[in-house]
Amino acid sequence: MDLQTWLPLLLGLAWLLPLASFAIVSIGGSLPQIQGHHASYRSQKIAGVVASAACGASFLLSLLAMAIWLTNHPLGAEHPGGHPGTAHAPPHYSGDFYSLASFGDLHLAIGYYIDTLTVTMFCMVTLIATCVHVYSWGYMHEELADVVDNEVATRDGKALHRPGRYHRFFQYLSLFTFSMLGVVIAGNLAMVFVFWELVGICSYFLIGFYIERPSATNAANKAFIVNRVGDFGMLIGLMTLWSSLGTLHFDQIFPQLAEPASAGGLSYPLLVVAGIGLFCGCIGKSAQFPLHTWLPDAMEGPTPVSALVHSATMVAAGVYLVGRCYPIFVPEVLLVIAVVGAITLAMAATIAITAVDIKRVLAYSTISQLGYMMLSLGLGGWVAGLFHLITHAFFKSLLFLCSGSVIHAVHTNDLREMGGLRKKMPWTAYTMLVGCLAIIGAGVPAWGIGFSGFFSKDAILEQAWSFAGANPAPVYGLLLWVPVAGAMLTALYMFRLWYLTFAGEPRNADRYAHAHESPLSMIAPLVLLATLAVSIGWVWPFSELSVTSLLEQARPAGTQETVQGEWLSSLTIPDEHLSHAPEIQVPAGWTTFSAAMGGLLLATMTYLWKWLRAEEIRQSFRPIHSFLWNQWWFDELYDWTLVKPTLWLSRFFASIDHWLIDPLVHGITHVSRLVARLLDSLLDRRAIDGSLHTLADQTWNTGLSLRQLQSGSLRQYVLFLVAGTLGLFAVASLYWKFAVAG
Amino acid sequence: MNFLLANLLSEPVGVAHYMVVGAVLFTCGIVCMATKRNALGVLMGVELVLNGANINLIAMGSPYLQGENATLGLDGQLMALFVIVLAAAEAAVLLAITLNFYNSAGSVDIDQADQLRG
Amino acid sequence: MNLHSPATYLSLLTFLPAAAAVVVCFLPKDQDEFVKKWTLGATVVAFLLSLGMLVGWPGIAFQIGEPGMQHVFSVDWIPSFQVHYMMGIDGISLPLVVLTTLISMLAMGASWPITKHVKAYCMLFLLLETGMIGVFLALDFFLFYVFWEVMLLPMYFLIGVWGGPRREYAAIKFFLFTLFGSVLMLIALLMLYYSSDLRPLDAGLLAEVGISQTDIEAIQAADTPQHTFNLLALQELGQTTDQFKNRLAGKTYEWWAFLLLFVGFVIKVPSVPLHTWLPDAHVEAPTPISMILAGILLKMGGYGLLRIAYPICPEAAYDLAMFVCTLGVVSMVYGAFAALAQTDFKRLVAYSSISHMGYVVLGLGVWSATAGTDYNPDYWKMGMNGALFQMIAHGISSAGMFFMVGLLYDRVHHRDLNQFGGIFGKMPLSSGLAIGIFFAGLGLPGLCGFIGEFFVVLATWKFSIPLAVVSAAVVILTAGYILWTLQRVYLGADYTGPHAEALTPITKRELSIAAPLLALALLFGVYPRALLDTMEPSVSQTVERLAEWKERDDQAKETRQDSGKTTRQARRLTNHHQQQLTTPSP
Repeated sequence: MDLQTWLPLLLGLAWLLPLASFAIVSIGGSLPQIQGHHASYRSQKIAGVVASAACGASFLLSLLAMAIWLTNHPLGAEHPGGHPGTAHAPPHYSGDFYSLASFGDLHLAIGYYIDTLTVTMFCMVTLIATCVHVYSWGYMHEELADVVDNEVATRDGKALHRPGRYHRFFQYLSLFTFSMLGVVIAGNLAMVFVFWELVGICSYFLIGFYIERPSATNAANKAFIVNRVGDFGMLIGLMTLWSSLGTLHFDQIFPQLAEPASAGGLSYPLLVVAGIGLFCGCIGKSAQFPLHTWLPDAMEGPTPVSALVHSATMVAAGVYLVGRCYPIFVPEVLLVIAVVGAITLAMAATIAITAVDIKRVLAYSTISQLGYMMLSLGLGGWVAGLFHLITHAFFKSLLFLCSGSVIHAVHTNDLREMGGLRKKMPWTAYTMLVGCLAIIGAGVPAWGIGFSGFFSKDAILEQAWSFAGANPAPVYGLLLWVPVAGAMLTALYMFRLWYLTFAGEPRNADRYAHAHESPLSMIAPLVLLATLAVSIGWVWPFSELSVTSLLEQARPAGTQETVQGEWLSSLTIPDEHLSHAPEIQVPAGWTTFSAAMGGLLLATMTYLWKWLRAEEIRQSFRPIHSFLWNQWWFDELYDWTLVKPTLWLSRFFASIDHWLIDPLVHGITHVSRLVARLLDSLLDRRAIDGSLHTLADQTWNTGLSLRQLQSGSLRQYVLFLVAGTLGLFAVASLYWKFAVAG
Repeated sequence: MNFLLANLLSEPVGVAHYMVVGAVLFTCGIVCMATKRNALGVLMGVELVLNGANINLIAMGSPYLQGENATLGLDGQLMALFVIVLAAAEAAVLLAITLNFYNSAGSVDIDQADQLRG
Repeated sequence: MNLHSPATYLSLLTFLPAAAAVVVCFLPKDQDEFVKKWTLGATVVAFLLSLGMLVGWPGIAFQIGEPGMQHVFSVDWIPSFQVHYMMGIDGISLPLVVLTTLISMLAMGASWPITKHVKAYCMLFLLLETGMIGVFLALDFFLFYVFWEVMLLPMYFLIGVWGGPRREYAAIKFFLFTLFGSVLMLIALLMLYYSSDLRPLDAGLLAEVGISQTDIEAIQAADTPQHTFNLLALQELGQTTDQFKNRLAGKTYEWWAFLLLFVGFVIKVPSVPLHTWLPDAHVEAPTPISMILAGILLKMGGYGLLRIAYPICPEAAYDLAMFVCTLGVVSMVYGAFAALAQTDFKRLVAYSSISHMGYVVLGLGVWSATAGTDYNPDYWKMGMNGALFQMIAHGISSAGMFFMVGLLYDRVHHRDLNQFGGIFGKMPLSSGLAIGIFFAGLGLPGLCGFIGEFFVVLATWKFSIPLAVVSAAVVILTAGYILWTLQRVYLGADYTGPHAEALTPITKRELSIAAPLLALALLFGVYPRALLDTMEPSVSQTVERLAEWKERDDQAKETRQDSGKTTRQARRLTNHHQQQLTTPSP
């Protein structure tokens, strides 16, 4: 079978189906509005089915692609012509769907780059998206009819009534699926950037789904703008690569990077800039420190959105991109990635302990887990990081959907009003328990069995252990102990969440009384995801098929070797294979296990057995608690250091127009008018008009004086006549006498 | 003045004598025009002036007075006749004006006819 | 009338609106509806005529992929000054002509709410369209200047009579600024005209730039300088001869001409600090005039730079490239910041125009084809194509944005951002369209605004890294002010401003104006080649010729320096020898 033809066709189709569904739903939903109606109940229902069917079909196509791939590229086989320790590309297929533009030798295109990672991500994204679509049939059913939004008051103080937007929700979900798959299939960084932004805008729409709530629209704006801050960095990365290499195609970038600067490669400083720039984009999208603040706020969106967009897929896009662009990152940049990941995971975990909003706890746990992935990638654990991305996608979407089920039942997000719910909603409770066990990495190191998170988190800590071994400096040791401590915190806050929700006695009887198990369309995805959360880390029976072996096949060129930093010569990024050695695997595994168990024990003691009183702990650590409760004051810090100054600056710029340029222009016009008036008064009025006026006045006066002669008296006239005649005669004769005769 | 009159008195009657008469008449006419307030008086003054001029014309043109070298020939008499005709016409017009003025102003005092005063 | 000859076709395209305006004169005074329909009909016919070239009307079919000027014709106009009535189209002007006729048509559709002096309005509107089309078609500098001025007056009256409360102020401000610019252009025009001499060009070249055979013979036989207004000939002279290199106050004529032209055009763009006429003009102008102002008039500045200033004065353009680009970036940043502070919806959109047009100036100026890059023109090509693309994209998105603002203003009669909110609930369809169009302005991928900005920003790094970084940072601000605006206007629970009862759903007429704009934004965003295929060859040719000029110029300088250096070296050598000879050996 010709993979070069079939893979782009299958995956391209899987990619475009959600777009088609988006087009159908959005146009179909807008047509009634031209007539001034709203979409009917029936058509909204159909919209949900269309979107889900498109997504399901994409999943099937992705599975088919995976099957075709596996038959042609059996796992475990060496890369064609490759052997460990050399830079060679994993098997991949790349090409262009269509060209966006070309200028001389520069080409930009919408294309594809398909390797095992792409296919795996396709399966993961479409599967989770399908689950979330189906789940949303039940979760969003209120939107089918007119909605009363109790959180929004209109002018007259009543709750807001508005038409339902069921179909809009599915419309955005379809667009999101399309955009996410676009990021995954992208054949070049420009296309990644395109879909990166589209993913961002879908997230904007979905967070701001309840457009009437100011908190939701604020959160949506924040998400998009913070992401754009990251994208600014990403643009710089793109510019560096584009200007130096003249291409953004993955299959052209990677070979060129291997070349020295003189032969078309990049110089080391530019490589660092490019790497850090690209990573900035990932920081924004994956909510890493310091751009993590948007993710907790993003929980304003409906819960299925949080499950799909803000935990399983979109935020993982940053991790995916780091994995995809791995050959671009030099050791120093990898160290930055690792440090950012470590800070993020620690910070988010500490905040998660104090949060009381069920979705916020999960949001911070997402940030923390994304930190793990970044840390792992930064320490050279390429497979481990992406493995955690896949496993995390399943258990985190499970956890979010469970929390959605709880919220659906009790109509609140506040953990303090829950408790004892396991009796009312056992399916939700126990699937969520599975999720919690998966996220803390429960398993038995000695037997090598456990939940999916056990394998992926172990792999990360093994790599950290290996890194710490390769870099004896104590500073680097932190990169090992922070994730270990993080593992403990993870267990603590996850079980705190579970106990507060499902165990103990109900703290709000009213809400407890109205709680009920969710409908089948919501439970079924939970069960499916719970199954996967347990087993996705396992090896397929009687084969080599596992997520790790798939990822191992996609391992990019150049990661199978230990590398040294060029600027930080003491920095060593160890080869990931070294971490599988028993002398690393065993202690690392037990350390993780004990950390997680310690956290679990602490949570159980505090929230189940009540040996420790949470209230007292809070009292005795009041300053720390308030620091964590306020999320390390990040929002306030940014508000004061960035948002407010920007607004001041904007007002300053606007006032330049108002107080400087416009007055200047007005001044110029005033001056010219003044000059004109001056000229007018001096030259025209005074000199020219003045002399004319004098002449006229004189004539007038002469006339006046002559007028005295015209007395009207006939006798006088006669006298004048005589006198005149005599005078003339006298003159004539004198003239005669002197002038002529004389 | 003495010597002028002496010459005149000592010479035979000629053009100069007529001219003196004409000048006297003319002057009387002017004085009459300048002093009379009555429009008819002024009219008379005008007639005097014209006649003074007529005497001159006739004297100048008379072959009896000028002899063979009378340059004007019959022209003097013709012009005098012309002046007389004009004077008659003028007198008629003037009388008509006076009559109208009298009708409108109720008097023939020309000092009251000062509407053309500037 | 032979519609297959370029002369007839292009003249008809240009003067059809003017002819229709004459007819409007004789239409009955009380038939407003009919006058509007007639005017709309004229703009539709003009639009179809402009499309005719694209779809291949026999004799005037536009050859896509052909970089040079097509369908050039030239007729004597004022022979004593070598002024010709000369027009032609290429990949740079054709998209702009089509944009002009399209936006004019849509703006006329948006003119239905106008009820004051409808006849006069329609006449001025049509006259304005003639001026705009003429500017893009003219290939004679004098003709260009005439059309440029023709455009100015109707605009003045359209703002000054049909505008808002401060219309007189805005109209006069607009008029003075633009007139100031065109005076500078006039000076440059005369400078270039009187220093030009066609005689050094050979007959083939002269024929190529559209000069008739008899004229060529006359030129070659002449023994006095043969001045010209022919833009193509002036480009040739500017790039291959030293005719504009006379010195004036330490700088060449060319340098001064470029500066004058640049300032003249940049007023129209507009660039900071010559931009303050724009917010006032937009705020006061009626909606359709704002659409035209933002959609087309601003593009003339960019077109003038690309067609006149750069090709005729390459040396000055290279000298001032940093200045040009910095001005572009300053406009981008300044406009974005100022937009963030506005509370008047229309003023905000006006400042966003300033910010977006900054990309155009930046894209034109990124002269990265220098010795350092081995005269590789590709990145500059990308920048200039991005600039032209941005012009078209901004023409679509800003016209749409102003239309959406006008749509709300027609209903509630205010534009205060703080008094809006909750429009989405009342008018979902129009809000959806508006959000789409505003996202096109925001530079969201998949919509037209993204392509131009992305190209320009990517091309900038090669020219100057700091400018590239700053221009990339503008994406954050753009997102900030657009999203904040959308939130304040369309999102939220309830509309709290005045005239809430007037918020009726979008009408079919309004829909048929907004929807095509959004559709075009989507088309060009998803498939930019639809536009690039037409314009890229011409733009790239312009860039290539400038890059070649730079290479020639550098080589010429080098040889001059080399010869200087060798003589100096020779002199030093001889001195050295003499010293050796004279110094007695120890």
